[in-house]
Amino acid sequence: MKVPMQWIKQYTDVPVDAKEFQEAMIMHGTGVEGIEDQCEAVQNVVVGKILSVRKHENSDHMVICAVDVGEAEPLQIVTGAPNVHEGDLVPVAKVGAVLPGGVNIKKGKLRGVDSFGMCCSGPEIGVPDYLYPSVGDKGLLVFHEDYAPGSDVRPILGVDDTIVDFEILANRPDCLSVWGVSREAAVTLGTTFRKPDIQFETVPGNMDDFVHIDVQDTDLCPRYCARIIKNVKIGPSPMWMRKALHAAGVRAINNIVDITNYVMLETGHPMHAFELAKVKDKHIIVRRAYEGEKIVTLDGKERDLTTNMLMIADQNNATGIAGVMGGEESEITEETTTVMFEIAAFDRTNIRLTTRALGLRTEASGRFERGVCAATCREAADRACQLVNLLGAGEVIDDVYDCYPQPKVAQTVKASVARINARIGMQVPADEMVRILSSLEMDVSLDGDCLTVVPPAFREDIENEADLSEEVLRIYGYDHIQSTLLRGETAQGTRNVHMQLSDKVHRILSGKGLYEVRCFSFISPKLVDKLGLAAGDPRLNLLKVTNPLGEDTSVMRSTLVPSMLGCVSLNQNRNNESAMLYEISPIFDINGRKEGELPHERSTLCIGAYGSNVDFYTIRDIVMDMLNRFGVDCTVVPGAEPYHHPGRAAKLMADDFCLATVGELHPDAMAAFEITKRTVIAEVNLEKLAQLRTKMGHVRNLPKFPAVTRDIALVMDEATTVGSVLTAIRHAGGALLEQAEMFDIYRGTQLPEGKKSVAFSLVFRNPDRTLSDEDVNPVMKKILDACEHACNATLRL
Amino acid sequence: MDMHEQLRKIQEDALAALESVSDKASLDALRLKLLGKKGELTLLLRSMGQLPAEMRPKAGQMINEVREQLTARMDELDGKIRKIEQEKKLAREAIDVTEPRKHTPLGSMHPISLVQDQLLQVFTGMGFDVVEGPEVEYDHFNFELLNLPKNHPARDAQDTFYIEENIVLRTHTSPVQARTMLTRKPPIRIVCPGRVYRADEVDATHSPVFHQMEGLVIDQDVTMSDLKGTLDAFAKALYGDNVTTRFRPSFFPFTEPSAEVDLTCVNCHGKGCRVCKGTGWIEVLGAGMVNPKVLDMCGIDSQKYSGFAFGVGLERIVMLRYGITDMRALYEGDVRFLSQFRED
Repeated sequence: MKVPMQWIKQYTDVPVDAKEFQEAMIMHGTGVEGIEDQCEAVQNVVVGKILSVRKHENSDHMVICAVDVGEAEPLQIVTGAPNVHEGDLVPVAKVGAVLPGGVNIKKGKLRGVDSFGMCCSGPEIGVPDYLYPSVGDKGLLVFHEDYAPGSDVRPILGVDDTIVDFEILANRPDCLSVWGVSREAAVTLGTTFRKPDIQFETVPGNMDDFVHIDVQDTDLCPRYCARIIKNVKIGPSPMWMRKALHAAGVRAINNIVDITNYVMLETGHPMHAFELAKVKDKHIIVRRAYEGEKIVTLDGKERDLTTNMLMIADQNNATGIAGVMGGEESEITEETTTVMFEIAAFDRTNIRLTTRALGLRTEASGRFERGVCAATCREAADRACQLVNLLGAGEVIDDVYDCYPQPKVAQTVKASVARINARIGMQVPADEMVRILSSLEMDVSLDGDCLTVVPPAFREDIENEADLSEEVLRIYGYDHIQSTLLRGETAQGTRNVHMQLSDKVHRILSGKGLYEVRCFSFISPKLVDKLGLAAGDPRLNLLKVTNPLGEDTSVMRSTLVPSMLGCVSLNQNRNNESAMLYEISPIFDINGRKEGELPHERSTLCIGAYGSNVDFYTIRDIVMDMLNRFGVDCTVVPGAEPYHHPGRAAKLMADDFCLATVGELHPDAMAAFEITKRTVIAEVNLEKLAQLRTKMGHVRNLPKFPAVTRDIALVMDEATTVGSVLTAIRHAGGALLEQAEMFDIYRGTQLPEGKKSVAFSLVFRNPDRTLSDEDVNPVMKKILDACEHACNATLRL
Repeated sequence: MDMHEQLRKIQEDALAALESVSDKASLDALRLKLLGKKGELTLLLRSMGQLPAEMRPKAGQMINEVREQLTARMDELDGKIRKIEQEKKLAREAIDVTEPRKHTPLGSMHPISLVQDQLLQVFTGMGFDVVEGPEVEYDHFNFELLNLPKNHPARDAQDTFYIEENIVLRTHTSPVQARTMLTRKPPIRIVCPGRVYRADEVDATHSPVFHQMEGLVIDQDVTMSDLKGTLDAFAKALYGDNVTTRFRPSFFPFTEPSAEVDLTCVNCHGKGCRVCKGTGWIEVLGAGMVNPKVLDMCGIDSQKYSGFAFGVGLERIVMLRYGITDMRALYEGDVRFLSQFRED
């Protein structure tokens, strides 16, 4: 919210510079985002009197002027403006001048003629027509009054203020006003808030002669004030008012409209002015919309209304949406003669719901949503009347309409001095608390430890002791807060079970050379489609966001694979030679979920990798190593996800549970995700891993007796997996077989077509004695029989 | 020649030959020539039988003396030759230790994980337990228990993604605090890290998905100065002893009083620079005393207990810490970016 400093200074002294003001306000609870000095934007621009105008020899449209800028010699200035007349007073940017947007004026040469400055239009010096009437960008701004050449143009044109950009906290709607911030400034700076003395002259009259107002739904409109102005003379408002509005970012229009805006900025009360001549049958009804009712709002759009929306209506039709937008028909025009000011308070939740439903927000609705105080409506209405008097804009009728059936009763808050101090961790004396709270216009009485406080009507945020403690603390000063250490029993804090697991996964995988990525948890459903999952796959059941930013972030992930493939694709497209990536994140499973229930969030690990140092086996072994680290034994079973290469993928089974999948990416999935290099993708169920992980037990002490090693080569079909043979060997080997490992695979001319020879090294040991051939031979026979029987693998001779 | 002469000649010849021996093969040949089965000294010793008995001991002694002398010299030379030959071998085996090799370098956690881990270290050291909660959350826990009733304007500050009318993507990690208060009895000291969601379009400083860590302490007689003390300790643990905190008044529905917490600018140490926009401070945390309404709603007696809460956005800390200028780099997963990170 932008407020010119001169407006604040009408209501309180500001004995510090802008920088100190900003700092002080921030530290006492009123945010200041920035300070804008209008004088910095325009510098060295003065009133110049055009003494003579002569034609430019080399130009049809330019002229050469001699301009008196209050210096010994007139300046020669070349200009192309169409409205240059001898004797006119115009703004002149001298050499060295600064114009808005950081433009610097230098000595120039225009078609061979020296020019020592520039004659300016209004827009060139940041002065719109409504602020100082001129021809806009069609020519020079010409002063209407007489000023001495050389005078600074800024005070004349109303661009010489310092503008404070306040950032008002959500609980302080009262500060969305000049009075509000001035009040805070006074308390902050230790000065006095000078509330205006609101008095004005009226003429006799009867409300009923002008308008009939009927507030039917007082639950949504707790207060409705109206005042009538007759014999209105529409015209421009005075410079001081236009200047204040302009600095606050509001366009000046005419005296009546400007008054409504000025009062809104000053008091925080949105106001509306009706031209009574155009109010049908002189009836204004405040009621809920009818079923199926429609309205065309000022912006020309037809809008469907619901019966929860509050309308301003005539006897037949809604003419405006209460607190949001007025109707076109009763707008103020040049011909307006009788005006009704409306200053009302509307239910903030209702206004909020209405603006949401209609997608229509205005300055007024924003204020009503945050809260406009019903108790101060009348004061604001009277302030508007005072300004009508001051501007001579019309005659105020003495009769008032004020429907306020349930005046707000001031709330009393009781608090303990000791408890406030305990909360803020300070020892603020009781009388200091009384002083602070009184300075905030609260009624305070102190009885021993007990403070009894009645906050002013506009402080609807003060409800309890905690609120008072904040008021005391912020005025006393947050910089007085001491640093103390927490007391009470302390122990080392612990990480939760999930994080203990994921911490270890991070360290294992980063040790293996993988980099962690963090992707968005919502994705496009199209990416899930690209995986080619079979109909009925639970992962196709996606949790939808009802109001996503876009289709690409519209469903919660049921698998981490699409995001990972996105990362892989990005790296390949950026010509990164290799990448080994992992992500740990919950996936959102809604299978079996009923409406109103949360989805199941399952912690999951995903790995995606490509490059010359990576193949299926690399990633399989990284996953297996990791599982082993958690004491979980898995069996590798061939098996592919739809997005896997059907012959290069496996499931890692912990008993009957598929704990992880690993596979090379299917060419179709590669194409779908624009991936060109062979990529391995794995997914691990960390939730299950957390359940299966075991604590490390006792070690195997080193053996005292030697082992017997036998190497064998078995010939088998290509299709026979080494894993199945190893399983058969281990199973048949029994207790004596300490270790069985594959060490070579041979394929070639020595073997029949479609066969391979796989060499295994078997280690036998008895922990209690040295083994003899007689011990090992029967076991070997058993192993060979098992291999032949189960895998059709025979000893290569 | 008598035996003496023979012996002396053998000795002289051998000593002369030793002078010119420089490799193992010649040395072995020489040793064989002298001491082999048909070696000169061996034959000489064998010929001693022809001498009269009384001369034999003396002759034997002489021959042995020469043999010992020559053996010692040959052994000495053998050692030298071995050493030289080993040095030659080692020289041949020298490699270029600067030659790069293809290998898989160490990986790393994501910068957000690194910073989160660092923060958790600090807080677990101060006795805070780490608690996590669901990312898809009930409106009740995300808003209502935190004093943000339906249609409260303060909800606007947190543009919310909805799943259903009463289920949202959590807008902060505060619902974890609410859940904890409902299930644990004071004293409570927890930190809740996690991913949160707000309907912000993606740009260099905004993301609809980001990360927070919030803390909550509830006990008897917890004060605002305990909050400051805790955050001071946190700031110092993270950035060193010269860093301090500044509290500014603020408003959050779930705390009262509330504060924005600034840290001494880590870039300029408070002198004022581009990072802190000349103020010497950087806004990092929101904090405050838990609103008694929140305690009561969560079943904790606000007359008996008080507490504080704080929240910090991890992306901001990460970007300041590592000098990252565009937030999008954190989520796209380019290895050239990710491979620059390591644990401190």
